[in-house]
Amino acid sequence: MNFRLMLSILAAKTAIVLCRLMHTGGTSFPGKIALKIYPDLLKAIAVNFKIIAVTGTNGKTTTTRVIGQVLKENNIIYISNKSGANLLNGIATSLIEAVNIMGKSKVSTALLEIDEAAFSKVTEHFEPDVIVVTNFFRDQLDRYGEVYTTLNNVIKGISKAPGSTLVLNADDSLCASIGRKVNNRVIYYGFSPDSWNNENYTVNNDALFCIFCKTRYNYENHIYGHLGSFSCPECGYGRPASAITCLEVTELTSSYTRIKLDIDGYTSDAKINLPGIYNIYNCLAGAACGFALGLPVENSLKALSSFECGFGRMESIITEGKTIKVILVKNPTGFSQVLDYLLSENNPMQLAFLINDNAADGRDISWLWDVDFEKLGKINDKIITAFVSGIRGADMAVRLKYAGFDTNKIIMTDNYNQLLDRALASTPEGSTVYILPTYTAMLEIRSILKRKFNLKEFWE
Amino acid sequence: MYIIDTIDTNDTINKINNANNKANDMDNKAVDNEAIHNEASDNKASDININVNDNIDAMYSIDICHLYPDILNSYGDMGNIIALKKRCEWRGIRVNVHNVTIGESFIPEKYDIVFLGGGQDYEQEIIKDDFLNNKGNEIKNAIENGKVFLCICGGYQLLGKYYRTSEGKELEFLGAINIWTIGAGKRMIGNIVYKCDFLLSENFDGLIVGFENHSGKTYLGPEVKPLGKVIKGYGNNGEDGFEGAVYKNTYCSYSHGSLLPKNPAFTDYLISLALKQKYKDFTGLGKLDDSIEDQARNSVIRRILGR
Repeated sequence: MNFRLMLSILAAKTAIVLCRLMHTGGTSFPGKIALKIYPDLLKAIAVNFKIIAVTGTNGKTTTTRVIGQVLKENNIIYISNKSGANLLNGIATSLIEAVNIMGKSKVSTALLEIDEAAFSKVTEHFEPDVIVVTNFFRDQLDRYGEVYTTLNNVIKGISKAPGSTLVLNADDSLCASIGRKVNNRVIYYGFSPDSWNNENYTVNNDALFCIFCKTRYNYENHIYGHLGSFSCPECGYGRPASAITCLEVTELTSSYTRIKLDIDGYTSDAKINLPGIYNIYNCLAGAACGFALGLPVENSLKALSSFECGFGRMESIITEGKTIKVILVKNPTGFSQVLDYLLSENNPMQLAFLINDNAADGRDISWLWDVDFEKLGKINDKIITAFVSGIRGADMAVRLKYAGFDTNKIIMTDNYNQLLDRALASTPEGSTVYILPTYTAMLEIRSILKRKFNLKEFWE
Repeated sequence: MYIIDTIDTNDTINKINNANNKANDMDNKAVDNEAIHNEASDNKASDININVNDNIDAMYSIDICHLYPDILNSYGDMGNIIALKKRCEWRGIRVNVHNVTIGESFIPEKYDIVFLGGGQDYEQEIIKDDFLNNKGNEIKNAIENGKVFLCICGGYQLLGKYYRTSEGKELEFLGAINIWTIGAGKRMIGNIVYKCDFLLSENFDGLIVGFENHSGKTYLGPEVKPLGKVIKGYGNNGEDGFEGAVYKNTYCSYSHGSLLPKNPAFTDYLISLALKQKYKDFTGLGKLDDSIEDQARNSVIRRILGR
């Protein structure tokens, strides 16, 4: 009988109930209390679970959703932490919720999204069965520091988990380099070099030079950012062969994508239930995780065509024949990918940029200048209005102006209700209002959308 | 551009910052601020994109050199090039941007303005040899001869004599200007507001806004003047109350943000400086509508200084 374990679980469970009663979300506080009372708590309860961990800069939440659907298609019951509760305390809260007072659980699989900066702290507590790494891009520099710091942090975390199977992005020279540095079992996923080439590619310096010898990489093709078929002419480091591969992008629409997918030699057509090239990566990672777990390929394919995302990742609301889509933007590469996606929209659209600079958004909004808004020029005629809002809405307006956007079409407001009403009123039926918020702005706009349209709350 | 209830910016910021804010506030505000400025869409005052006023500068052209654009470009440094370029083009001044990276020659006679941005340790490591050994002498001479330079953060430090790491290791830098940097344990991160006397005019209070993120503390030799006096923030070293450096026509700062787009007075100052050098008959730049830039700048000032 471990009384400290029981006490810590009891305290956390009480805190969870209280937080819910007070409607504060409370995703990290209960875990914090529990770990204070019993620092070894996670070690003790994690042994009950087969753990799948997802980390990396972009695409963690969506990849986690895809993997969740893969598990569902295989009738595997699992628990998961909610996005935004992906630091140690949040993860602890999620696991505590799933166990009884003795630390035991009926559910035996845990699917956890883990913040890339917190990752090495988390693996001090348990060794996941599978670790999926999405990619590494420069992100809020005031918060994460250099991209190499983040990468090293993840490597440090993996080194504490030598038994984990790694699922790595073959097209990301930073992510794939992990496979060379550790001795874990590795499964790579990526685009074959002839499957896609980004004609709008702009030089991005996240990883221009070989991580091993600092020679400039050659690229056979570019997908986006520094992702692509890279090779170092000096030391020979290059894109590793992938077991899960996108062979061809056969159809790209503003609501879904079709690809030819190879899973370890088994080739088939796959429909991906989210638009955008970047979501193909999230799905490849999900399929690769299914492969790592030894699950049937057919079930993974089913999952790709049926999964649904949420919490600000292409979250859609349909009202009076008009669509509101919320797409979180948090760093230059992610934002650029969202703009690429908008280029595929055929109908007139409204855009709303909600830019905050709170701690969770990154205090420095300089990164807006690393996003290629100039490409909006290609769809200028389709954009009815660009609303700008949030603490740094005015900065966003400046960015659009200098990107050559027609300033007569910019509306600045700091009232989200008005913004929504005005945007919807001037949107023709069948068209979409795209809301592009930074993290804390996403929380704010979701709470308004929730009241207006009965959106589900994220801890539900 | 239309602005809805701009006066409430501060108000909203407080609200957003306030974790306990009741979502209802938003609704109440919606009622309070029914008055949306509904100017007719033929409001010509906001036709900024085609703003070419009485002063047609079309006979002028400017060549901008962007040093290591593919490598030293963290923290939105690109915004400075975009601002220089756009503010010239809106006035009909032709602009050529020369991207000069590793292995390419730096030919100062070709350029009117040189920009050197910042990078993270990894990137600075990559360019260091090329910068010091292949381009160093030309850059030094150009600075000495009064070429207009703008250098931000890492670029600022690289022009100095050395960088002494917090472990005491001394890295030799270019020594083009008499400044030096000492690594400190604590990073200086945050919004910064400082006052530049050389920008003061009837219409401008001289206040510049930016975002700093550096761990090096920079000190200036006697012949180097600070760029501005810190009103709020750390500046060069968090000790003497000054930010940035000016030596001849070389302007250095720790400010990202990006610096130039939100501070058009500074951008125009640099463009004028370059045009004055190039064209004897140059008398001054035409005015542009900077209402959006001013709003972005003022909202930071209000937020940081509580004005």
